[in-house]
Amino acid sequence: MTFLSGRRFLLGAFAMVCAGSLSILPAHAAQNTRLFIQDFGNKLVAIVNSPVSLSEKKERVMPLIQQNVDIDGIGRYCLGRYWKAATPAQQKEYLGLFHQVLVNAITDKLGDYRGVSFTIGNVTKSGEDDAVEATLLRPQQPPATMQWIVNNSSKVVDVIGEGASLRLTQRQDYSSYIARNGGSVDALIGALKRQIAHHTTAATQQ
Amino acid sequence: MRLRPRGQAQNGQTRAGFSAYRRFSTRSSLLAVSLLALAGCSSIRTPPPKDPDALAEYKQANDPYEPLNRKVYNLTMTFDKWALRPVAKAYVWAVPRPVRNSLGNMITTMNEPSVFFNDVGAGKPRRAGDAFVRWCINMSVGLGGLIDVAKMAGYPHHDNDGGMTLANWGIPSGPYLFLPMGPSSIRDGIGYGIDQGLSPWNYVPRGYGLISFNWAYNMMGIVHGRSEHLDELDALQRDALDPYATIRSAYQQQRKAQIEAIKNDHRATVPLWYHVKNKQQG
Repeated sequence: MTFLSGRRFLLGAFAMVCAGSLSILPAHAAQNTRLFIQDFGNKLVAIVNSPVSLSEKKERVMPLIQQNVDIDGIGRYCLGRYWKAATPAQQKEYLGLFHQVLVNAITDKLGDYRGVSFTIGNVTKSGEDDAVEATLLRPQQPPATMQWIVNNSSKVVDVIGEGASLRLTQRQDYSSYIARNGGSVDALIGALKRQIAHHTTAATQQ
Repeated sequence: MRLRPRGQAQNGQTRAGFSAYRRFSTRSSLLAVSLLALAGCSSIRTPPPKDPDALAEYKQANDPYEPLNRKVYNLTMTFDKWALRPVAKAYVWAVPRPVRNSLGNMITTMNEPSVFFNDVGAGKPRRAGDAFVRWCINMSVGLGGLIDVAKMAGYPHHDNDGGMTLANWGIPSGPYLFLPMGPSSIRDGIGYGIDQGLSPWNYVPRGYGLISFNWAYNMMGIVHGRSEHLDELDALQRDALDPYATIRSAYQQQRKAQIEAIKNDHRATVPLWYHVKNKQQG
C-alpha cells in the first residue's frame, strides 16, 4: 500500500511537473526575453552613466551591440526587395557598411544622455518575436516609451518609438533612395560610404 | 471708448480685420491652387509600376502624388532652413526651459477645446471628460494654462485631432500629402480644416486685442512646436539618405499607432491615481 501510494505520488508529481512546465513554457520564454533586455539595458545604462570619456564609452558599447543586436538581420530587412537583386559581393559590402552606419548611429546618441535609468513594462508577442516595453527616464525630460523587438535567438531586431519601427523607416528610406537612383544597389553603397566618411571627418574635427 | 481716440481704434480694428482676411485668403488660395493642380495635371502623379515587388512598395508608401509632394516638401524645407529653424533656435537660446515649458503647457491647454470636440466626435465620452476637466482646471488654477495642474491631479494630456476622429469613423487615410504645415494625408488635411473650425480661438471678436492674441498664440505655437524638434529634425536630415521618404514613413506609422491607441482606449472617468491604487490592491 505504501509502495503503491508512493508510486502514485511519484507519478502524480511527474504529471504535475510536466503539466506545469507546459503551462509555464510561454511565460518562461517571455521571462527570458525580459531578463535579456533587463541585462542588456543595465549594461548600456552603466556605460552611459559612467564618468569616462565619450570615446571610451563608444569603445565599450561597441562589443555589447555586436553581441546583442542582430545587425545582419536588420541589414537584410532594410535592403528589402533589393536584397535579392544584389550580387553576393554587393550584399557583403553593404552589410559591412551597414554595421558601421548602425554602430555610428547608436554611439552618436551616447553623448546626449547622462543620469538615465529605465523601467521595463509588459512583454507581448509581436508576430514570432517578443516585444518588450521599456521606458527611458532622463533628467528634466519627459519619459520616452519604446518597444524592443527581440527574436527567438535573443537578439534585438527592432526598436519601436512613438509607433514608428526604426527598421521599417530605414527600409523605406533606403528603398526610396535606390528607386530614385535607377534601382541601383551600388548607388546606395556609394551613399553609405559617403555617410561614413562624413561621419569620420566630423568626429575627428571635434 | 472716449479714452481712446476714435481714429486709432478704428485703425486697429481694420488692421486686425485685414490681417485676418489676408490669412483667410492665403489659406483658401493655397487650397484652391493645390486642388487645381491635383485636378488638372497628371505629371504630379506617379503611375503605378508594373513590377509586382515595386507595386507592393508603391502601395505601402501610399504616395501617388509624390512629385507634387516633393515640390511642397522642398519649398517647406527651404523656408524652414532660412526662417523657421533660425527663429526656433533663437527662441531656445533666449527663453529658459522652465518658461518654454510653461508656454508649451499654455499652447496645449488652449488646444484642449479642439481635443474635447474631437473626443466627442470620435464617440469617446470619457476621453472628452478628461479633456474638459483639463481645460477647466488649467484655465483657472493653472493660470490660463501656464501650469499643467491637471496633470498633477491625474489627468495627463492626450492628443486628438480631426484626422483621428475621421479615422475612428472608419474613413481611410487616402493618399499621403505633404502640406506646408507638414506631413499629412487627404483625411488628415480635411481633419486639419475641421480642427480650425473647432478651435474657439478662431471665433474671437474683433477688439480687446483678442485677434492680436490669437495671432501671437498661433505664431508662438508654430515656433514652440518647431523648437521641440530641433535636434530630431537636424539628425534626420543628416542621417537619412532620403529625408522625404523617412518623414513619410515615420509619419504614416505614427498616425497608425496613435489611431490604434485611441480605438483601444477604454478609460474610465476617474483620475489616473485611482487606477494605480486599484492595481496595487488587486
